Order: sequence, then C-alpha cells, then structure tokens
Amino acid sequence: MLYDVRLELHYDYDAPVQGGRHLVRVTPASISGIQRVIAASLRYDPKPLAETQFVDFFGNHVTAIVFRDAHDALDIRLSARVFVEDIHPPADLSPTLDRLEQDMGRIWSLAPDSPHHFLAPSPRVDIDPVMTEYARQSVVRTMSVQAAVTDFCMTINRDFVYESGATDVATTPAEAFALRKGVCQDFAHVMIAGLRGVGIPAGYVSGFLRTNPPQGKPRLEGADAMHAWVRAWCGLDVGWIEFDPTNAMLAGPDHITIGHGRDYADISPIVGVLKTSGSHEAKQAVDVVRVE
Amino acid sequence: MRNQETSAQAPGDLKLIEDYALLPGVPDEMIDADGNLRPGWAALMTAFDTLGPEELAARFERADQYLRDAGVFYRKYDGAEGKERAWPLAHIPLLLDESEWLTITEGLKQRAELLERILADIYGANELVARGLLPPDLIARNPEFMRPLVGIKPASGHYLHFCAFELGRGPDGAWWVLGDRTQTPSGAGFALENRVATTRALSDIYAGMNIHRLAGFFRDFRDALLAQGKRLEGRVGILTPGQHNETYFEHAYIARYLGFMLLEGEDLVVENGQVMVRTVAGLKPITVLWRRMDASFIDPLELRYDSRIGTPGMVEALRNGSISMINAVGSGILETRALSAFMPRLASAILGQDLLLPEIATWWCGQDAERQHVLDNFDAMMIGPAFSTSLPFDDLRGTALGAGIPEHQKRTLKERLAASGAHYVGQEPVQLSTAPVYVEGKLVPRPITLRVYAARGEHGWTIMPGGFARVGSSLDTTAIAMQRGGQAADVWVISSSPVEQISLLPREGEKLMRNPAGSLPSRAADNLIWLGRYAERCEAMVRILRAYNARLAELSNPDIPLLKHTRAYLEAIDIDAAEALPRGLLQAIDSAVLSAGQIRDRFSPDGWLALNDLQKTAQRFGTRVQPGDDATRAMTVLLRKLAGFSGLVHENMYRFAGWRFLELGRRLERGIQIARVSGWFTGKNAPDGAVEMLLEIGDSVMSHRRRYSVSAGTQSTLDLLVLDPLNPRSVIFQLAELRVQLETLPGGIDDGQLSPAAKLALQLHTDLVIAEPSSMSQDALEKLAGNIGMLSNLIATAYFT
Repeated sequence: MLYDVRLELHYDYDAPVQGGRHLVRVTPASISGIQRVIAASLRYDPKPLAETQFVDFFGNHVTAIVFRDAHDALDIRLSARVFVEDIHPPADLSPTLDRLEQDMGRIWSLAPDSPHHFLAPSPRVDIDPVMTEYARQSVVRTMSVQAAVTDFCMTINRDFVYESGATDVATTPAEAFALRKGVCQDFAHVMIAGLRGVGIPAGYVSGFLRTNPPQGKPRLEGADAMHAWVRAWCGLDVGWIEFDPTNAMLAGPDHITIGHGRDYADISPIVGVLKTSGSHEAKQAVDVVRVE
Repeated sequence: MRNQETSAQAPGDLKLIEDYALLPGVPDEMIDADGNLRPGWAALMTAFDTLGPEELAARFERADQYLRDAGVFYRKYDGAEGKERAWPLAHIPLLLDESEWLTITEGLKQRAELLERILADIYGANELVARGLLPPDLIARNPEFMRPLVGIKPASGHYLHFCAFELGRGPDGAWWVLGDRTQTPSGAGFALENRVATTRALSDIYAGMNIHRLAGFFRDFRDALLAQGKRLEGRVGILTPGQHNETYFEHAYIARYLGFMLLEGEDLVVENGQVMVRTVAGLKPITVLWRRMDASFIDPLELRYDSRIGTPGMVEALRNGSISMINAVGSGILETRALSAFMPRLASAILGQDLLLPEIATWWCGQDAERQHVLDNFDAMMIGPAFSTSLPFDDLRGTALGAGIPEHQKRTLKERLAASGAHYVGQEPVQLSTAPVYVEGKLVPRPITLRVYAARGEHGWTIMPGGFARVGSSLDTTAIAMQRGGQAADVWVISSSPVEQISLLPREGEKLMRNPAGSLPSRAADNLIWLGRYAERCEAMVRILRAYNARLAELSNPDIPLLKHTRAYLEAIDIDAAEALPRGLLQAIDSAVLSAGQIRDRFSPDGWLALNDLQKTAQRFGTRVQPGDDATRAMTVLLRKLAGFSGLVHENMYRFAGWRFLELGRRLERGIQIARVSGWFTGKNAPDGAVEMLLEIGDSVMSHRRRYSVSAGTQSTLDLLVLDPLNPRSVIFQLAELRVQLETLPGGIDDGQLSPAAKLALQLHTDLVIAEPSSMSQDALEKLAGNIGMLSNLIATAYFT
C-alpha cells in the first residue's frame, strides 16, 4: 500500500515565546519488512534559527529545532510518502509464558529492539499490581504468549471507552485504567503496563492510520489524529508483533509507523523547552490518503 | 624493623593510649595484630602526650575554629529542608605507611582503568554482553543507563576522569573496595579543608613527619582539565545543581581553589551544537564541564524531562563532540551495586589480571544459581536493592542483614527475591577496622572507611596521596555516614624520606599566566547587583531607624509631628517603626544573604561570615530589643557590622567585572534612597527638625557644618545631599560613579557609542551638574529616584537576558 501522509501540528502561545528548543519526532522511518519511506519533509513556520537531524537510540528520526526570536504561534507540517507492506499475521509459534523467560535469557544483546529494554518500568509506565492482575486473566485464559497478548488487546478494547477529552497527554496508565476511558495513548499505556507486569516485553508505537477506510469497512478510531499502538515480544520464534488495542486488531497495512519507544515519553511528537510565562493550546490535523 | 622502631615507645609508655582497648578480631589502624604501634603513630602519640590534654584540646579547638571561620559546611537532610551543618572534623589524622599506600595506589589505578573499559563497552561496542560477561538486563533495567548517550564517543577520548573509591580494611588486614563513585564523586574539597584544619592544629607535628602533600594532585588535575579545554578551544567550568545541593560548599570551594567558573544549568546555552556560558560580555564557549550534577538532570530535552536545573541541548553538544564531561554522562551506571558481582570476572576477561584489591563478595539474584545461594545463606547476607547506587553501609533503609530481619518480613522478602530476583543482591557483611578518635580526653576505637580519589592526568591515572577517613559515631559499622553523626578525619600518608613541598602557585621558572577578564556569568552578575542593593538598602533603613529611635528616646512622645512624618516614610518602604527591629529590615538582610549564597565562589569567606554574623545579630536583637534607646544602640551595632561587610568586600575584591556589578548595585540603591528621603524631609509638609534629621540620615552633619557657615536649611541641605560632587553620600556622587562603571563594563562603549544605560547615566548626571538646589522639589526628587530605577532596568536588559 502506498500512502501520502500529511500532518499539521499547530501551537498557539498565550504569551509570546522568547525562544525555545524542540525535538520533533513525527517523520516515519523505513523499517525492514514493515514499511519503506519514499519521501518525507518537514516545514516550519516561523522558520527556526537552526535545524539538525539525528537518529535516537530506538532508531527514530528526530529533528531538533531552535528559535531565538519572539513568536506567538508555531506550525509544523509533515508530508511523506510511505509504502507499507501487506504482511499477514504470523502463525502462533510463541511459547508459553514460562518459556518466554528462557527465550529472553538467550538474547545477549542490547540492540534497540532487544526485548530487555521493554520489561522494566519506563518514564511514563509504572508496573502496577492492579493492571498486572488485569493482564494475568488473559494469560490464564490462553495457552501461549501471542494468544495471551491478543486476548488482552481484545479485553482492553471491550472494557474501555474511546473518548477524546476524557484524558490528556499527562494522564498516567493507572488513572486511565481507573476511568476505563481514554484515547489511543491511554489504551497503549494500559496494555504495556499489564504486559510488563506479567513478564511480557512490550513497547509503544507511534504512527498514523489510514483516514478513509476501504469500501465496506468502518472508519478506524483515531484516524483523524496521530495514533499509537503496542508491540509485544512473543518469543524467539515469533519476535515482535504489533497490536492496536484501540481498534481491537493487529497493526497491519493501514498502520503507518513513525517510530518506537518504551512509552510515549520516548517518542512524543514534540518535546520542547520554551521561554515563556504563559501556557499554550495545541491542534493537530492528519490526513492519510492511499495512492495507487 | 617495626619492633625496632617502636621499641623505644612500647604502647604502654604512652599515657594517651593506656586505656585504648582493641576489639577482639578487629584490626586497628594504630596498633597492629602483635600489639605494636604501626609506623608513624608512635611519633604522633608521643607528641600528643608531650602537649598534654589541655594544650591538645586547645589545638583541636583551633582546627574547629578554622573550619568555622572558613565557612566549611555541608547540608544535612533531616526534614523538609536541608540545614547547613559545620563540617564534623575528627581531629586525629589517620596515619598510613607509604608501602601500604602503594598497594592501594596500584590497586586503584588498575580499578580505574577497568571501570573505564567497562563503561566504554557499555556505551560502545557492547561486547561484554555479547560475550556473556554482563547480563543485558543488568544494563537495560538500570535507571543510570542513559540510552541517548549510546554510541557517543567522549570528546576527550575518555569516559572517566575523576573517581572516588570507598575502602575498608577487612579482618584479614587487607584493604577492600566497598564502592566506586563515578557519577559525581564528592568530598575532594573537604579532604583539602580537612588537611588545612588539621595542620593548623598540629603544624609542628605535621612538619616533622614527612607527610605527602595533596596540592600536587589537584595541580595536575587542574592542568589536565585546562589542557583539555584548550584543545577544544574553550573554557573550563564546574557544573553545580545550585546552593541547595548537600555539597554546594565544596563546588564553590573547588571552583575558587582551581580557578574555574562555577556554573549552573541556566548559565549555559547551546548554540550551533556548542555549549556557551552567558556572561556579561556575551556568550563564551565552554568546552570542559566538571559535572557535579547527576547525569539525568543535565538536559530536560533528552534526559529527565522534568529537570529544572539542566540545559536544553546539552546532549546535542555531547553528540557534536564539542564538550567534554568530567565524567561522561552515563558513568553513574558503574556505581550499581549488582555490578560488583561481575568485577572479578570482568578484570580477568578485559585486563587478563586478577583484581589487586578485592571487593565485597556479591551475588546478583537475577541469575538462578546466585539467587539460590543467597536464599540458602539468607541469614548471613546483607540483602539490598540490586540497582542501588548508594554504599551498602550508607543505606540503612534499603539494606539489611538477613538474620536481623523480623520473621514475617523475612518470608515476604524471600518470596519477592524468588519471584523477581533481578531487583536484589546478596552481599557478605562489611567488617571494618578501627582507628582512634579523641572523646573527652580519651582515645577510643571507632570503625572507619577510607575515601580515596583518582584523577586522570595527561599521562594516566594518579591517586591523591591522602583523602579522608569517615569515622563512625559508635562501634556500629552502619553509622559511618556523616549524615548520621559520623565524622571525617584527615589521612596522612607517611613517607620514609622528605616530601616535595607543593602549592598551586606558579612554580619557579613557570610562566605566569593571567586569566582573561570578562567571563562573569550573567546570573552571578545579577546576584552581585542585588547583593549590593540589599546591603545598601539595609544601611538606609538602619540609618533612618537609628535617627528615629534616638529622637523617640529623647522626646518620649511618639505623636510629635517629626516622628509621625518619619513613620509615614518608613511605612512606604514596608517598615513598621513600632517594631524595635522591624520585620522589613530582617527580610532585607535575609535577601542580601540569599543573593550572596548564590555566588559563594565570588567573594571571600570573610565577607560571607561577616554577612552571616550580621544576620544572626539582627535576629538575636529581634527577640529582645526595645524601641527607643535600646533600639538606637542596636542600630549602631548593625550599622557597624554592615560597614564591616562593605569594607571587607570593597577593599578586598579584585576589580574584575564582578566587583563592578556589586558597586553598581550599591550606587543605584544609594542614589534612589537619598533622592527619596531628601524629597520627603524637605517637602512642603516637612515638620520642624526634618532637615537636621535628614542630615543625620545622610551621614552629613559634620560635612554641613564645615561647608556652610549657616545652620541647616532646606537649600543648603539639598545642595549637600543631592548636588555636591564631593559628598560620597550625595545623589550626584552616585551618578558620577555609575557613569564610570557603566562605561567600563563590556559593551559600555562600543565603537564610540555609549550603551543605553551609560547614556542615561550621563544624562542624569549632567542634569544634576547644572541644577540649582531651589529646583529640587519633592516631585523632582521622586522623579530622579524613578529615573535611577530605570537605569537599573536598562542594566538588567543589557547584561542578564
């Protein structure tokens, strides 16, 4: 599938910002076997004083921008053309949860996709006994890690209400869990917390969804904004599989990946340090169109 | 040999150690296993005996007095807010023989090299994990593993430059490594102050004993940092988390001692991938930062996003290779307790050697066999958190001997250990040696640990020939930490031959270098201005209050117009004259101390102590002084102390930009105060006696008598206090000084053009030169005070933003 992706991030500042430095993580990366980025460009208004690019630990494309002059709004526009492979869900060759630990023990690596990075608490996801217990139900009901993760993904989708505005960007997984409400970020964080709690390595995937569904299919939740889903490590034979708890499905040809992290903090679209006395309002618009 | 040396002084002959009772099975630093004094101790104890108990106590008091005078303190956290505590010096130095010291030196050099290689691998090729020598989850789970730094090679070529090691002597008499400090090792400055204090007390004894000096170690490290800075074409700074850190005193001390800038995160800005310091002369490149801030705080963008003390973009500068961090960001991972379990194996795999100094046997429970071993020997083990970076005996809450844990908690802990072993380590309990401390005229043994420092010089690692010993407050080996009442002793390494005399002053034949001026950080300049302003504001308040209280005592009727008029003025500046020592004055003094506290490295310890003395005196007065006569006397005392502070600072401060900003603050404030008070006391509503009072407030009674043959009138008083260029208290005098200082500052005159502040000062000054006393109405003077205030804003805009 070939997609044209357009993203607009818009920030309005209450008080003029005297300067600032931001890290922007919105440019999709080419990932072997999953997607290929054919072209991508970022534009800013106002134009930053300096712009540099680097690839972070998890392989994400990061752009650092610096402003020195006063401004009261910031626009960031991404346009990208991405080819997404149509991969079929793998057969379940994953081990039981007991055997997963042995599989982990055979990985002597700290490469960015090594599962070892994805078991411990991370900046935004704590291990929480309540969510661990919630995930354990899925383990009990199933015979393999992959089946357990699939079951957990469906369970979250069934128990949670998708409601934008119920939470915000700073909501913790525990708060979202108590509400049983939220957006894709909350669904993903709850799922990651639960999986890590029972010992399954799990990480955060940031990306986009196709805006208009194929004929006869429903429009996916979260298609009008940036999206997030989860990847879980299902043993040596299967590796990482991506699950979308917001839409109760495996991530597939309609999911365009920006990048990976342990949680939102590792791959938030923009982090910045501003010199300002006021707060700001953020808007975003996403358009993902399939081109033949 | 040893017996020969000590035969003249068998322990029994010395009065001081008659009752010194060794603990069975515990080695002692003064007396060896055969009951003989170890090298050096006989000389020391004989000297103590000769001095006698009274002189000895006086000597020790001299050391304490030195530390108080030098303002040596550390911060103790025992509640919501840390308090400053006097440095707890244990007066008797710990003596170590050179031959024994050599073993320690060789062992620590090997260890520093090993640590460097491990760290380089963790953030580089990762072969240790691939070869199965380090478990990946030990690193991946580690909060000190800084992922953004992976793959970044340090600009200097090395990760570690300055480390500390905690050592203890085990029951077999050999020294053991108890812990490595690689993140931001503290205490080297305290070691220096320990040495100075101890030698103050024992100078004659010290001089006669061939003790290795410490200065050479610091000189070499300073030179190495300066050389690094030069190679990278920039300056060297010390990065501190600020004055609330527990060892801030030391940061300021080291900065002053070595001549480096003391910087906080907000002093720095990253431009085009280069770290720059904001100075009053603009941005200047910094290329070496001796970091006293924990790694995760240094950059809110790429590390801890909630850090408020960091510099955004610092990691970008590191990626760019434009800044050298002492030590590399991420080096804290080497302090992980569980890493000890792997050190012997890593030594043989990386260096092909056994560790010269052993360490505490450690079992990481993230591995099956090790976990079982810990569970099987639970009672005999210290059980603690695997990823803790605190030393096992400093960590009372997190670490405990298995046998000492109550039965029901033991069961829970064992279950947790079995389920998530990766979070726990088992360690053999630490046994320490004892050394003598002086308690109420007697020597008693106390457990000690030794802190030793290693620095990377131009030609490899050097070990500080000394350090300090931490001494427990009881025989309990867990009470070593200074936070819990322990003390610190100087460590003397005794040479068999005379030692080289070293100081940080230039050596003979060495080229004398003057550091360039103009690198005053803007934040420091800002604080200096405010220090100057607050000190002057206090003086103005004190002078008015003294004049008020003197008249109150004399007239004993607070309702006469002059006193009412004065009260109204004081009210306008938030002073309640009904209070003998008004809260507004105490607050102004506190503000001065606060400003000074942020720039401790910029002025002398004497100035700091004088200011503290002023604060304490004012607080003491606050509780017991009565209005009237009593308050008049109190104000006179405060005035003298203020003058003392001003004198110490102004007479002794080098005329760099720092002094200029302090001077600007003082002149601005005095100009404003005199203009205001002159207007108020010469205005239309001014009652009888107002001009006399004004002359007294303006400290110009004598000058007036000499200058004018008439008794004080409005015109002559205004002439003297506003327009007289020879009166150091007049407004015009302040403006003349402001002009000079503003024109001398960086950017004061650029291509013949005056800066906006210098222009305004010139204009205000000129206006007064041609003004007549009769035109100085209350309104005109209020306006003048407002204009001087604007000058202050212009300075802030030009130099602090």
